[in-house]
Amino acid sequence: MAAKKAAQAFKLGDRVTVEYFPHWRGKIVELRGPLAPGGMQVYGVRIRQKPKSFYVELREDQLILIPEGERSSSRKKSDGS
Amino acid sequence: MPSASLLQWRNDRMPRLHHVDLQCAASLAALAPNPQLIDENLRGYVLLLSAHFQGFCRDLSTEAAQVIASKVRRSLQPLIQSHFTAHRAIDRGNPTVENLRKDFERFGFTLNLAADPANVPRLQHLAAMNTWRNVAAHYGPIPPGAPLSLLSLQAWRNSCDGLATSLDALLYNELRKLLRRAPW
Repeated sequence: MAAKKAAQAFKLGDRVTVEYFPHWRGKIVELRGPLAPGGMQVYGVRIRQKPKSFYVELREDQLILIPEGERSSSRKKSDGS
Repeated sequence: MPSASLLQWRNDRMPRLHHVDLQCAASLAALAPNPQLIDENLRGYVLLLSAHFQGFCRDLSTEAAQVIASKVRRSLQPLIQSHFTAHRAIDRGNPTVENLRKDFERFGFTLNLAADPANVPRLQHLAAMNTWRNVAAHYGPIPPGAPLSLLSLQAWRNSCDGLATSLDALLYNELRKLLRRAPW
């Protein structure tokens, strides 16, 4: 798997996947703040799924950043280019 | 011990609202008061008050969900978390009693804020605040009764403060029973 766990805080718009749920791929849409136990950061993530996307709030240690390179190559594949 | 959400309400949201309060008071006390500016300031105040109280309720719901999710196997946590955020009423709706009940009763108890007699007038203020919030946001028709005033807004802010403390305590006690330990 090319994606790796991010050591730094996530930013709005970062594309992420979820630990144990690699088919959940989405985008950080909200920085919810230190609301998890131990003051861990919580992020609002919009998961793209068919037929309908959904919103979920996850801790920073559950999220895996999808590197930019992987994003653009998968986009090219899906574009057929 | 208060939740992180209540601390945020007290240390960030309430001081911000206090600044808005001062701005409204200043516009009322001006040598040549501008009625339009006063009206806009009061409308802005009710919108912000409602938004901050909604934000507090949403934070508290998130905090409770994260505590519960942290108690199950790591591989199951995202499923639990997604169920707590699915169709959450206060993500989009006003912080009405009905919406609070819908969202907080997901934690396995009946939310009856009115069980505390101190909350009865606070809940009336909450309903009035939500009515005026919609009037301000949509420039809707003015409801019958007393016009929007700084005094009523200050009373509603104090009521929101009381309800925030009450909701935090209720959730603390319920989660403590459920988890058999202090949730935060």
